[in-house]
Amino acid sequence: MQTDIEKAERFTIPIGPQHPALKEPGHFSLTVDGEIVTGATVRLGYAHRGIEKGIESRNWVQSLYMLERICGICSHIHATAYALGVEALAGVQAPPRAQAIRELVAELERIHSHLLWIGVAAHEAGFDTLFMYSWRDRETVMDILEGLTGNRVNYSANLLGGVKIDVDDAQRDAILRGLDFLEGRTRHYLDVVTTDATFLQRTRGVGIMTRQQAELLGAVGPTARASGVERDVRVDAPYAAYADFPVNLVTSTAGDLEARFVVRVQELFECYRVIRVILDHLPAGELTARMPRRIKEGEAISRVEAPRGELFYFLKSNGTDTPERIKVRTPTICNLTSVIKLAVGHQLADVPMILAGIDPCFSCNDRAVIVRRDGAAQGWTWEQLRQYGIETYARRNS
Amino acid sequence: MNVEETLMTASQILEGWAWKTETTRPAPTRIDATLENNDDLVPLVVALRVKHLGYLSAITGLDHGPEAGFMEALYHFSSGPVIVTLRLKLPREGAVVPTLSDIIPSAEPFERELAEMFGVTVVGLRAPDHLYLPEGWPEGVYPLRKDFDPGVLGGNGHHAEMDAW
Repeated sequence: MQTDIEKAERFTIPIGPQHPALKEPGHFSLTVDGEIVTGATVRLGYAHRGIEKGIESRNWVQSLYMLERICGICSHIHATAYALGVEALAGVQAPPRAQAIRELVAELERIHSHLLWIGVAAHEAGFDTLFMYSWRDRETVMDILEGLTGNRVNYSANLLGGVKIDVDDAQRDAILRGLDFLEGRTRHYLDVVTTDATFLQRTRGVGIMTRQQAELLGAVGPTARASGVERDVRVDAPYAAYADFPVNLVTSTAGDLEARFVVRVQELFECYRVIRVILDHLPAGELTARMPRRIKEGEAISRVEAPRGELFYFLKSNGTDTPERIKVRTPTICNLTSVIKLAVGHQLADVPMILAGIDPCFSCNDRAVIVRRDGAAQGWTWEQLRQYGIETYARRNS
Repeated sequence: MNVEETLMTASQILEGWAWKTETTRPAPTRIDATLENNDDLVPLVVALRVKHLGYLSAITGLDHGPEAGFMEALYHFSSGPVIVTLRLKLPREGAVVPTLSDIIPSAEPFERELAEMFGVTVVGLRAPDHLYLPEGWPEGVYPLRKDFDPGVLGGNGHHAEMDAW
């Protein structure tokens, strides 16, 4: 395989469908000239489950259970976007304690998601020690979520009209203890990602996306913020309890892979901070408001900030107990376009990290790479491409 | 721009197109504008871009069903909490819209999804092949239409045409 690549020939490497970074399927087709990527396209659909169609024959409550299973990593934010949208259609406000708990779980979810990503991105760079440590530490937040909701994944904390879980003093203390531990560990990660020479070689100055490019390409979330785009739905259009418990915008101007690490790590500190504030000031009161079974005719839009960026729900009711239409636009589909454009001009060895840098969630989008050189297409597994990236850099260091 | 300024700017832009659009306010921070003519989409979007009014958050396809006899394509632009939605009315047969991807590259995957799920032709789309639907998916079958019949995919959940993939 290596001799083929060293020839200055054009060939296509298919990556996927059993893919790339996150053990989920996706299909990238890269055209390569020697070492440089000259073209890239994406095809998804390998984990597509027809959920938008499915909810058209399920009632509003059943649809909640379906939609929160669009994604295992960001299940709660889907449920929150949906619940807020249905409540808007019905003209119902969930009580303040419920909104605060929704925000609490959303921020805990962001913690687990960012820690997961740190590990996976480190793994892409061949830095398995950081992968193992971050996933070990992540168990702390997984235990917190399980203690609060009864589940590590798909917490099912939301109901239409509120939440079904409460926080008692023992849980509160467990959360605070866990956050203290995680904060210490996070300081260590910040140090590692900004000072480890081998790691920096694969991230500093790599995959640069300028602010203009990020805006033009429609990037969202930490990927966009790492390029200086000041966009965060929690800040721009506060929902749930974010008006009462706001978060600070975290951005960088470097726009490279290192910045994408740093922004996510710094967002973790913001998560820890705001969760402590919520626990200190959790409003008293009910956990649910009464919701009608049949929802008034109308259209609503719900925008929330998932760990990967803006999650957009369009909901249409026809006055019955079954939704007329629910459109779900997940953040990764926005960022995939940026990856496709960014990859062009970069070397093949940087592709795994560039893709990992957007924190791709294929479940959300549906939810393998072809490399074309000289009209010939070669099928690579992601593992091969990842190894290729690691070995290329290792050779340069020797 | 704050919320008031955004709403005012959006209203002003749409006022400039008043003879070609119908504007409504479905919520305090939402403006909907239905276009008379789908060809006005690109110039109207350019007008929004020139004023830096928002970014394209999503494109929603909506089938009103065979009885109502029409579909819609909704283009949602978000600016802070304000959402400006441009609505195109489309026939269920032969629906055609211009691509936004030349001025807004991120529109591409949204338009590919609209095309394959609803049977809308997006003129000028660079890569019009399927985004989500598998190879071997039958021609002319649009899953998010109200009259989609899963039966056309073959019985017993075993889809012979799709064995190729």
